[in-house]
Amino acid sequence: MDLTSSPNNLSYSELFKDHLANPRNGGELSDANAVAEETNPVCGDRLRLSLRINHGKIETARFLAYGCPPTLVCGSALAEMIEGRTLVDAMNLTRSDIISAIGGLQSRKQHAALLAIETLQAAIRASGGEFELGRD
Amino acid sequence: MRRIYLDHSATTPLDGRVLAAMLPFLNEKFGNASSVHSFGQEARAAVDKTRRQVASLIKARANEIVFTSGGTEANNLAIRGLGEAHHNQGKHIIVSAIEHPSVRGVIDSLEKQGWEITRLPVYDDGLVRLADVGGAIRPDTILISVMMANNEIGTIQPVTEIGEIVREERKHGRRLWFHTDAVQSAGRLAIDVDGLGCDLLTLSAHKIYGPKGTGALYIRRGTKISPQQVGGHQERERRAGTESVANIVGFGVAAELARAEMDERNEHVRRLRDRFEREAAARIDDIVFNGDRDCRLPHLANISFRFIEGEGLLIHLDMQGVAVSTGSACSSGTLEPSPVIRALGRDEERARGAIRFSFGKDNNEDDVDYTVQVLSRAVKSLRELSPLTRETTVSVPSA
Repeated sequence: MDLTSSPNNLSYSELFKDHLANPRNGGELSDANAVAEETNPVCGDRLRLSLRINHGKIETARFLAYGCPPTLVCGSALAEMIEGRTLVDAMNLTRSDIISAIGGLQSRKQHAALLAIETLQAAIRASGGEFELGRD
Repeated sequence: MRRIYLDHSATTPLDGRVLAAMLPFLNEKFGNASSVHSFGQEARAAVDKTRRQVASLIKARANEIVFTSGGTEANNLAIRGLGEAHHNQGKHIIVSAIEHPSVRGVIDSLEKQGWEITRLPVYDDGLVRLADVGGAIRPDTILISVMMANNEIGTIQPVTEIGEIVREERKHGRRLWFHTDAVQSAGRLAIDVDGLGCDLLTLSAHKIYGPKGTGALYIRRGTKISPQQVGGHQERERRAGTESVANIVGFGVAAELARAEMDERNEHVRRLRDRFEREAAARIDDIVFNGDRDCRLPHLANISFRFIEGEGLLIHLDMQGVAVSTGSACSSGTLEPSPVIRALGRDEERARGAIRFSFGKDNNEDDVDYTVQVLSRAVKSLRELSPLTRETTVSVPSA
């Protein structure tokens, strides 16, 4: 399904709906060693990510989100896909990777995927690591 | 999957009796109502009959009804049509702050063209105050346009009293007209245009179990408006274009049924709405009812769910087969918080968390109970993910 074709297309993919109905890794880690919360200044959507990083690898990731469904779903997809990744791998994730992981996203909603990437990068930076930013 | 439609303020299903009346005009009775031959006259007779049926719904005369393509066109014709016809007498219009987008749009457009607009506040109950109406009238005011009932929160405005204010002004020689958008209230409130004292009144067929694509503007006899669609003699030169006969016929039957069954339908939807609100309040914490609880339409509930955003809740409910709306259905494709809820003085979070549930004649108590059940689950699930929820911290065991 091409979800980028029409600005009036309000439908979401099955993968998207599955993330919304069954969010992966929702919540907050009590023993996180990297935490970030980013806000989209235009729409006010918020994404909070808490990570437990060990030996350069993300062991556990949890997210909290407030905002439109794409923000919740991108948070869920992100928290699921980064577990087990090295920080270098995680830093190289892009907005497109998130969009693919949820089966596509209308172009006017893609800011949610960007918020997810920015929150991830902020959390990794908060852990003290220095990494090259992921790019589309 | 079970499907429950709770979005009757957006549109209603076509009543089977309406469809049956329309079908001949989509088949053998296909004539153009402007044609002289028998095919045309068959269609003309049907349109004329409908004009009487629609007029009866609001106690108007048949020749005061102009058929349009819907409520939006009727609102445009009323406001721009009256403005263009009387702009030499003044260029000031008074509206409420919570008009439907079809009124807001034409008002914004006139404002850009140099008209002056006063938007009346509605306070936390969603109602305009008569003192504000009276205080806003200026020597150059030519039109007051206040909706009869709001499409998002259902509050019923004091339109009869506004009509009295307009009548009083006229007694003093003022040239002032009154328009009301009755799209949400027709079929739900008894309407008498003479009692109301309005000069222009907007109706739509698809909100009363009629077809989409048809509406009407009531124009009081003697009220001059400039047509907005020209190039034909239809509708007494007030709206050019071949009449959509089948839709118009459907509108007439829907209007007749709405008038005959109004009390029964209202009693039914009020019982369902009240049961829904009672059960939702009992099972879900931190909810805010939007709009006055007494002075409102019987079929509609608008609730803000704290700490979460409405669209996520809408999609959750949709996945469980329950159809509702966030904000106005026409504007739910945007990211803007509902301007109606904001006009009540609610903050952005409450405006973003607002959901409209609007019941219809074919809903039943099982629909209500199922909806409350899936709603409470969806709210819980979304709140568990929200950083705004007070109890957000969820610990997971260390690996």
